Amino acid sequence: MSQAVATPARASGVDALPIQKRMELQYEIEQLLYAEAAMIDGRRYREWLDLWTEDCTYWMPIRRTVTLSDIDREFTRRGDMSFYDDDKKSLTMRVAKMESGSSWSEDPPSRTRHIVSNVRILSTEGDEIEIEAAFLLYRSRLNTEESSWVGRRVDRLRRVDGELRICAREIYLDQTLIRATNMSTLF
Amino acid sequence: MCDFAHDGEREDDMDLIHEAGAAPDKADIRSYFDPASGTLDRRVFADEAVYKLEMQNIFARAWNFMCHESQIPNIGDYFINYIGEDQVIVVRDKQGEVQVLLNTCRHRGNALCRAEQGNAKSFVCSYHGWNYDLNGDLIGVPGLTSYYHKDLDKSKWGLAKAAQVDHFHGFYFATLDPDAPSLHDYLGEVGRIGLGLLVANGDVVIVDGVQKNVIDCNWKIAVDNLFDWYHVQYSHASAGIAGFMDIAAILHPNNQMVMFGEYGHAISGPVIPLDKQAEIDAISDEDKLKMAADMFDNERGPVPPPRVSFAKELLGPVGMRCMGHPNIFPNLWVSTNGTQLSLRLPRGPFETEIWWFTVLPKAMPEEIRKKQILFNAHLFGPAGMLEQDDGENWSQSTRASRGVKARSYRHNMSMGLGHDDVLTDNSTVSRVETKISEHAQRWLYRNWTDWLTADSWAELKANHAPLPKGRV
Repeated sequence: MSQAVATPARASGVDALPIQKRMELQYEIEQLLYAEAAMIDGRRYREWLDLWTEDCTYWMPIRRTVTLSDIDREFTRRGDMSFYDDDKKSLTMRVAKMESGSSWSEDPPSRTRHIVSNVRILSTEGDEIEIEAAFLLYRSRLNTEESSWVGRRVDRLRRVDGELRICAREIYLDQTLIRATNMSTLF
Repeated sequence: MCDFAHDGEREDDMDLIHEAGAAPDKADIRSYFDPASGTLDRRVFADEAVYKLEMQNIFARAWNFMCHESQIPNIGDYFINYIGEDQVIVVRDKQGEVQVLLNTCRHRGNALCRAEQGNAKSFVCSYHGWNYDLNGDLIGVPGLTSYYHKDLDKSKWGLAKAAQVDHFHGFYFATLDPDAPSLHDYLGEVGRIGLGLLVANGDVVIVDGVQKNVIDCNWKIAVDNLFDWYHVQYSHASAGIAGFMDIAAILHPNNQMVMFGEYGHAISGPVIPLDKQAEIDAISDEDKLKMAADMFDNERGPVPPPRVSFAKELLGPVGMRCMGHPNIFPNLWVSTNGTQLSLRLPRGPFETEIWWFTVLPKAMPEEIRKKQILFNAHLFGPAGMLEQDDGENWSQSTRASRGVKARSYRHNMSMGLGHDDVLTDNSTVSRVETKISEHAQRWLYRNWTDWLTADSWAELKANHAPLPKGRV
């Protein structure tokens, strides 16, 4: 089945919680995602990096236009080519690049807005929670360049010292051909 | 005040009132690039009429890269690509042959394949159901008896095909021109060395996933940039500061080689000095393979391992020393030490699709393979640590070619002009070994002029720039 299809919430962990607890968890997760979006859009990249665990992964496969009969090959798989296949070290490099003073694709900086919605808790297991969210990332660059990316993110969150951190993100774009000069921003 | 309205202090001032979109004549085209000064008229980046001529005289005539055999291993596997603005289906037919078919139904022109890759038993048009075999033969027409009264000769309405299809070590190319020379002759020695870098470590496969994005730039700005080792230190400084790679360590500004190939192919970039190559030649292949295992462990960034002796047959003594960037004219860049290919597909004068393929030896050990794929994903493509900044430069350069005043100023690609001698040693490869220069950019536009002013392959064969000799 294509990974574009929203995963049905599994009857693990979260379903066993009373509704009040589920609402609290939902609220906490949504607030984390909104705060994260505000950090990127507010160009507070170092703060954003702190949200990620040291063992984190950040991955955006390549999506292809395929027929229904080939739909299992719509996305590239782990280990094949991708647009992003990052860990904490390479995410930190991306931030260092933006701060370098010579990152021409981000200086003058882009103006971005992350709209995050359709947040669902898919499963909870031990300290980790798997969620999905829909996003719309709008970017305005220089005076006339506009790009937008829409897609689905699947995140694994982990409770570390009482606080939720992001330990994995998969980004499934709804575009195949990327209609933008570059992807110099964070998803 | 604009000085160009004055009384013609520059002879070409009249060109400014040249009607936009009017077809340039051959004298116009020859005036665009001036080999004597190494300057280029910016109209080549912004003029619709020039673009139309490029489609006709370059892309419809040249050998264009289609895909690698590993992308379509099975009968019915297809990959969609372009020859200029003609979309083509590259498909393995029932005989196992690779066919290059125009992706347009002969009935009313609809696209047969609307996916960009996949597997098909036959190609059925979604408009009226005309059905084509994998080799392009028309095999089914709904209503052939009842509506057409059998009055349609299916044998005459098969899909249009490329005039010639051939491959170099599994890399398939096609041309729409029946008069084009063979792929082997088209590539010539420099084209074959360029593509040879891809297979210098043995048979290869394409890693699944072609990165594709669109940059608002003229395709030639992207192409001439691949020869450009001058921009690296400045354009890509941020990748160095961020710790992705040691930019200074990859440049070798005083050890550069430019190889000139017939019809506009060229290779530009670092060269291994002769004494260093002698040291490399003394290393056993076994030890070279051990060095390959450690190529990513260098703290300054990956160091390409020395090529094994097997590669010498393919590349020759000069090619063995080549660490530069080949362009297979018009638009195929062999990159990242032969592990990546980048196609620059024109989409009008102001847009270019950039496609990135990763190419790895079948025998590459799994651990190195993983690291190379990660490195390639981080290096180029729209999110690449280097390529993010290229797009910005190319799009702004293209944009500036649209201004009436700005376009009256020619681009300067004069670096090194008149300072180097073409080497006349035993090698048959026409080349200079020098510092960072713009020899390859000049060679590109000089050949571009020949392509654009020729009316046929016969004319191009008769009237193209001979390989340079003497001082360049």
